[in-house]
Amino acid sequence: MNARSLARMASVLLLTLAVATPVLGQATELGRQTLGRPYWHFFAAYAIVVVMLAGWIVSIGRRLKVVERRLPELDG
Amino acid sequence: MASAVALLGASLLMVLLWMVFFWVPTEAVQGVIQRIFYVHVPAAWVSFMAFGIVALCGVMYLWLKDDRFDRLAVSAAEGGMVFTTIVLLTGPLWGKIAWGTYWTWEPRLTLTLLLWFIYLGYFMVRNATENPERGKRFAAVVGIVGALDIPLIHVSVLWFRSLHPQPVVLNAEGPALDADMGITIGMGVLAFTVFFFGVMMLRYQLECARARAELLEAR
Repeated sequence: MNARSLARMASVLLLTLAVATPVLGQATELGRQTLGRPYWHFFAAYAIVVVMLAGWIVSIGRRLKVVERRLPELDG
Repeated sequence: MASAVALLGASLLMVLLWMVFFWVPTEAVQGVIQRIFYVHVPAAWVSFMAFGIVALCGVMYLWLKDDRFDRLAVSAAEGGMVFTTIVLLTGPLWGKIAWGTYWTWEPRLTLTLLLWFIYLGYFMVRNATENPERGKRFAAVVGIVGALDIPLIHVSVLWFRSLHPQPVVLNAEGPALDADMGITIGMGVLAFTVFFFGVMMLRYQLECARARAELLEAR
């Protein structure tokens, strides 16, 4: 990557920031909402669901295995 | 059989996740955070159904003294606790964005938390007595009394001045939401219900195995 292409990339970045910054400043509450935090809450909610449901199944499986291991001993 | 039903439920949950993440349109006012609704509402439905089963089995146990009803009740109660916990954790995540706070002591939230504590008490009462039969009887009574909270939770947004949204699916004028959103919430209810029944049957097998082990130990 030479100095010329680096300068070109930097100028594109500066131009994007120059256009985007005032636009973001004018954003409504609803527009700003899509910029991060709601996504974090949304993914956290779905992660909780997956962890709770998977945890429930794993917990039942473990407890069932313990009892099933004991049953032949008690039978014998 | 139980594993097959649980597996079917898990597959339906995968379809639900695909619909929520890639298919259903984004709600115009609330944005992406509204998508929590597709797990929050089905989880609430399943928890009410689970505690309804606990109450019904409690009545049958007290009436017929058949241990199978107690085993079914405790299996449903555990599922009810799991799904109520999901409701109590996903709701505040939505509330933080929509209301600006994770928690407020408004009627529906308070009554749902009360429901969680009542059924926590159900498990505590079961194990609090030296005589297991007595513990089962006490738990059956707690299960029946606790279920009285369910209709209260449903009508709390209508009877009291509540911050919680009004019902959008089960209301007098019929469902008030977009068709695609209605299909997604329907899929959520179906997936959660099938999954609950599958895992509840597995939990019932665990109770049966425990009962058999206790019988062999007593011999």
